[in-house]
Amino acid sequence: MHQDEIPPGTLYLLILRTLARGGEMHGYEIANSIQHVSEDVLRVEEGSLYPALQRMLIQSWVTAKWGTTAGNRRARYYRLTATGRKQLEAEVSQFDRVMQAITRVIQTA
Amino acid sequence: MLFRRSQFDRDLEEEMRLHRELREQEQLEAGVAPEEARYAAHRRFGNDLVLREESREMWGWNWLENTLQDVRYGFRMLVKNPGFTTVAVLTLALGIGANTAIFSVVNAVLLRPLPYPRPGEIVQVNLAWKGGGVNDALTVPEFVFYRDHASAFQAMAGFRGGPDLSIKRDGASEWTSSLRVTDGFFRVLGVAPALGRGILREETRPGGAQSAVLSDSLWQKAFGADPAVIGRQVEMGDASYTVVGVMPPHFTFVGQPADVFVPLQLGRSIADTGMNTRVIARLKPEISLAQAQANISVVFDQLRQAGSAQSGQQGLQLVSYQRWLAGNLRSSLLMLFGAVCLLLLIACANVASLIMARAKARQREISIRLALGAERWRLLRQFLVESLLIALIGGAAGLLAAGWALKGLVSSIPWDIPSTTHIGLDGSVLAFTFLVGLATSLAFGFTSYWQTSRLDPNAALKEGSMQGGRSTARSRARSALVIGEVALSLMLLVGAGLLIESLHRLHRQKLGFDPQQVFTMVTPFAPAAKLNAPQVWNFEQQVLGRIKAVPGLTSAAVVTLPPLMGPNNLPTQHEGHHEDSIGGMEYRAISPEYFQTMRIPILQGRGFQETDTASSTPVVVVSETVARAWWKGKNPIGDRLVVGEYDGRQFPEVLEPPREVVGVVGDVKNLAIYEREPTSIYVPASQLFRPPHSTAWVVRASSNPALGAELRRAVTVVNPDQRVLDLQSMSDVVARAVAHPAFDALLMGIFAALALALTSVGIYGVLSFHVARRTQEIGIRMALGAKRGNVLLMVVGQGAFLAAVGIGIGLVGALALSRFLASLLFGVQATDPVTYALVSVTLLAVALAASYIPARRATRVDPMVALRYE
Repeated sequence: MHQDEIPPGTLYLLILRTLARGGEMHGYEIANSIQHVSEDVLRVEEGSLYPALQRMLIQSWVTAKWGTTAGNRRARYYRLTATGRKQLEAEVSQFDRVMQAITRVIQTA
Repeated sequence: MLFRRSQFDRDLEEEMRLHRELREQEQLEAGVAPEEARYAAHRRFGNDLVLREESREMWGWNWLENTLQDVRYGFRMLVKNPGFTTVAVLTLALGIGANTAIFSVVNAVLLRPLPYPRPGEIVQVNLAWKGGGVNDALTVPEFVFYRDHASAFQAMAGFRGGPDLSIKRDGASEWTSSLRVTDGFFRVLGVAPALGRGILREETRPGGAQSAVLSDSLWQKAFGADPAVIGRQVEMGDASYTVVGVMPPHFTFVGQPADVFVPLQLGRSIADTGMNTRVIARLKPEISLAQAQANISVVFDQLRQAGSAQSGQQGLQLVSYQRWLAGNLRSSLLMLFGAVCLLLLIACANVASLIMARAKARQREISIRLALGAERWRLLRQFLVESLLIALIGGAAGLLAAGWALKGLVSSIPWDIPSTTHIGLDGSVLAFTFLVGLATSLAFGFTSYWQTSRLDPNAALKEGSMQGGRSTARSRARSALVIGEVALSLMLLVGAGLLIESLHRLHRQKLGFDPQQVFTMVTPFAPAAKLNAPQVWNFEQQVLGRIKAVPGLTSAAVVTLPPLMGPNNLPTQHEGHHEDSIGGMEYRAISPEYFQTMRIPILQGRGFQETDTASSTPVVVVSETVARAWWKGKNPIGDRLVVGEYDGRQFPEVLEPPREVVGVVGDVKNLAIYEREPTSIYVPASQLFRPPHSTAWVVRASSNPALGAELRRAVTVVNPDQRVLDLQSMSDVVARAVAHPAFDALLMGIFAALALALTSVGIYGVLSFHVARRTQEIGIRMALGAKRGNVLLMVVGQGAFLAAVGIGIGLVGALALSRFLASLLFGVQATDPVTYALVSVTLLAVALAASYIPARRATRVDPMVALRYE
């Protein structure tokens, strides 16, 4: 099944939204959730995921805490902060604006 | 982040490992074979290490870690090349150390502000003459007039050195220095006494109370810090003083340190109408120096209209006191500082050349790194760090050397620096050194950048890259550096040459007397002893009689003040001729044997004899220049002059009956060695009308270690309480008079020699490089029949060319800059062609010598080896 790459600049948006929906997740869960919810269209490269998570930690959009998985393994769980929520809103509205503009351009005969 | 890096790494690794294993699990559940599953998982993750690095990089601490890595690598490189490192560090240490040492002195003398509140307001008041001369002392009437009429100042005070006072403490006498000051003195400095009060106006009137203000250290030492000392009568010297104040700790008068301040009684002594009172003042806060100067001119006009100004005066000159104290040190110091800056430039040029030489050796390393994917920026940063390391180590070494050299330097400085100035490696000096080190390393960094930016990895990796085009550019750069070094060296050598020649001329100056084998001893009189002139002469005769009995003496005499030991001047005028008068004519009272003892030739008439007594006609002997100026070739003998008269006006305090000229003697440099037209008159000590402050004895004797003690005994036998200063030889006095220019010349000479040495090393290095580069070519030439001589000529010719161009540029530079030296030169022009020519020839010779060694090496090239050399 051919997977499309994630449009540049939207990775943060996807991660933030995933965390907003899922509460506390670790890296694997986040990647899987995106893949699953997008019905396998979008696949997150691990190579982009972890640097992005670090960036979000620096910006204080998320916080991280060590916890235990269901399978009794140690994993780092990420959760959204208030700043992250605000960032999510900003990114969503920006995304909407851009998408509407693109749609208008495409649909115009 | 920096310190928990390994923790961070481990956490991230663990996190990613879990992710990967879960991925693997997923694959297995999807039915993929275990091996395949693991590979798939790994593939999705990509390069583990790069991922971790990228994640870490997000945090932005990378640059610091990389820099630390560069530092460690740089250190290793330096250690592995001990030859290069040693030479580079030593060269830099030399340049930076010399700079630091001289800057310490500049900082202490020129830059550090005076230790008083708002020191910019304190000014020195000088008398300005038409024609440009300046006197740093005023007459008392002038001082009083300006003090009372000038409106630009908060306070104005006069001061004069006072006699050394002895304080008897537990039976032993301790001598302490004193300064006579007027009432505004402490107000001018802005420091009030910590205990009691300062001097009052009434105390500066003749007959006023003898009050004294003590320094804190004297108060501690001699009075045990007892607060009840205020109001106490204390015996100091032979007079009784009332202590009225004590200054705060660490207070000192920089212009002339003293421990006791007593009132300067205006109008009392004969010194008052001579220009012997120094004046300082403090400007009002809102008044600028220019405004004050203008105000002073107005007051001067008032003075002139009142008829009290000395003719030939142009008014007063105000100078910032700090600048005044630095005095002619300023020129010397700035010149020396300029010299060490040039030296530093030469040192930097040498090190840059060394770095470039090493670059060739590192070409391979650089190319491989570039080929492996290193960014140019990373390489450049590496070179910058290496340069910084060299500069830091060199700077630290220089600092150490400077600290050590400074001790010796300071003790031998002959300049009149206030003894309270502390010269050492303080905060400003360290900051300066750091900046210099930084600047030099940036300069080298530029060199490195220049290296790497032009590097083409392909060409460098190929074998036989010796003949690559890059080397031409680099060798041109090194040649340019050497030319620059030669030019700078020439400038330093010219400076040193001019100073040395100037010193030589000073030494050859006719002193007018023969200081060899002459010794002198000064005996200051205590003011409270209140001797009159006949008593002084009586004392002098008795002592002279005993001195003549000392074995080994050729002759002995009395003089108020020997030559070159200070000023002693009075207004003097040719009787009846207003235009023939001098405001401050050097005046010496002598015994008849004086001219003979000092070997001063009597040119006309006679000297003094036993028959010139207090009751015979007052006589005077004039010096050659006075005779020439006032009598213009006519015979002065029999004519008269009047001491105490100037420009038709009389100064009652110093006025003497007219004296008849009985002789003319050769000029003597009584005041200073650089006097061009010294004017002096001599009177018999038996015919003094007023007692002098002190007198001195000169003897011509074969050297005798006991001489000092025997002469001292001759005095104390006559008067046991008479204070006697140490015996000095006139040769030492003369040497001290030229100590300043001698010191300048010595230091400049040292710097020039160092510059020459560094430049020779530079030339040697560049030519060796050239020879090595052209080894193949030389081999071919020799195989084709070139003689050793031709090869020698080729190499030495190259060296000569570099030197010639450098000398040419240097000459232009020297001509342009040498006029700043003019104020320090004596008897020689700043553009003296002989000096320039000599220096150029010397430099050329040294350059040729430095070229010779590589040239010889070139001739010993074996053509067969050379042809195979790459």
